[in-house]
Amino acid sequence: MSQYETGHGAVTATADDSGHRGSRHSGSVVSFENVSKVYGRLRAVDGLTLDLRAGETVALLGPNGAGKSTSLDMLLALRKPTSGRIRMFGDDPYHAVKSGRVGAMLQSGGLMPEVTVRELVELVTKLHPNPEPVATTLKRAGIAQFADQRVDRLSGGQTQRVRFALAICGKSELIVLDEPTAAMDVETRRLFWNSMKEEVAAGRTLLFATHYLEEADQAADRILVINRGRLLADGTPAEIKARAGARRLSFRLGHVDEPFLLGLPGLVNLEVRHDVVQIQSSDSDATLYAVLDAGYRPSEIEVTSLGLEQAFLAITAEDDQTNGTTYVGETN
Amino acid sequence: MAGTLALTKAELRRLMHNKRYFIFTVGFPVILYLLIGRQVSAQAYGIAFGAYYMIAMATFGAFSGALNGNAQRISQEKKDGWIRQLRLTPLPANAYVVTKILVSLATTIPAIVIVLLLGRFYGNVHLPAWQWPVIAVTIWFGSTIFAALAVAVGYRFPPDQVQPITLIVYFFFAILGGLWFPLSGFLAKIGKFTPTYEAVKIGSDVIAGAAVPAGLAIGLVVWLGIFVALATVAVRSTAESV
Repeated sequence: MSQYETGHGAVTATADDSGHRGSRHSGSVVSFENVSKVYGRLRAVDGLTLDLRAGETVALLGPNGAGKSTSLDMLLALRKPTSGRIRMFGDDPYHAVKSGRVGAMLQSGGLMPEVTVRELVELVTKLHPNPEPVATTLKRAGIAQFADQRVDRLSGGQTQRVRFALAICGKSELIVLDEPTAAMDVETRRLFWNSMKEEVAAGRTLLFATHYLEEADQAADRILVINRGRLLADGTPAEIKARAGARRLSFRLGHVDEPFLLGLPGLVNLEVRHDVVQIQSSDSDATLYAVLDAGYRPSEIEVTSLGLEQAFLAITAEDDQTNGTTYVGETN
Repeated sequence: MAGTLALTKAELRRLMHNKRYFIFTVGFPVILYLLIGRQVSAQAYGIAFGAYYMIAMATFGAFSGALNGNAQRISQEKKDGWIRQLRLTPLPANAYVVTKILVSLATTIPAIVIVLLLGRFYGNVHLPAWQWPVIAVTIWFGSTIFAALAVAVGYRFPPDQVQPITLIVYFFFAILGGLWFPLSGFLAKIGKFTPTYEAVKIGSDVIAGAAVPAGLAIGLVVWLGIFVALATVAVRSTAESV
């Protein structure tokens, strides 16, 4: 069931995935105000506060069990928050969902068996007040060629595309997707994101949960990093990388003066083993210059770039270690 | 409302693809009636045995159809996440359950109509014209009692447990309600509180020309109330796991 990206680090940013979207509209589409969900002693979601604006494509990024699905379930009125308040289009989640202004695709969402794909899409289309024509939905979701097959005889990838069709058939303003590409092969995944871009170009707001870093980096113009139910970072992919310290600087030094090193500009994290110093920095140039300006002459200098994946791992690892206490040298 | 109707239509279309369901609702009562129904000169509940058995088998088919198919489907659809998917659409929260009851009402019609026709033309049951619709409608509305129970069981239990549970309930109410053979003695004492007995007795009292005791009709309403309450609790308490 679970799949992980193997080719980490191969993040290829394209020119069109940042910048031109974002602040086209300014209305708040979704807001969480200090939302928590508690199961017995487990705080699945812990004081989550966030705000989504119209036209944004936002990735909810976190490891398995971070509280992504629970957050989306609460947003979609499937679960009630233990405390806090969620608003969608200025309304409570239940009424917002029933108004047809949101289309959603969840991992756990099932399909009606014993009917054809077309019959199912027709049914769900009829439930929406202002839907897309069925033929358009079938084409956009890439399911027209098997529309007359029975729903219970589809492959995993095909099923996932039908679910996607159900999320877009209502021509909703907000689309919520929980791990949308989990069961898809590479080619289907590419097709999926292409059709998703059309939806966004048509002015929709998109919120998707994922643990694929590459997807968050390429598709989203804003990333919310969530771990153990709490929001750890909120920003563009570039900002998230900087937030964690985008580069790693390492060198050998004969005499190590830790207090001095901790005061270096841009420093996010410091590790010293004997004479080897490793610094994670949001501005590696400034950090290195400061070392040199202080008269040090380090050897074996290496500067390596951290991708979003390392940035994400750094942010969550930091959170797991400090267990919520403030971290020294935090850049924000 | 339009959404509920769209879903009901889709459900009915689905049912046409499903043959197994008709064995329970139509097949069993028809076979039993053909085997046992035509007993000349025998009597039960003060009317001809053929007439009693016709009512009993129509009730058997309708009630078991409302319970068996529905409970299994609801449980499976809950497990598969189809109920969850529907909750993400503008369809009102209660529409799924309303649809299941409507579909159940529609699917009990064949069993009732076919068994009554069998009684008339095979069992030689001759009744005044007005009595046929009264008997049919009593059984028809009575079947909603078991449709409500199906909702309660389907929401509460996983698919693999639903089968044995509905089977036990089905045998219990069939035997104790006097659907397979008329009750007498000790069984009649406890059996007369079952909804299956009450439905059959209303029909046989109508045929016997006796005034139908209000207690029978009240009994059916009470059972409906109990099972609707159970269904409501089951739906509400599983809301976060659906």
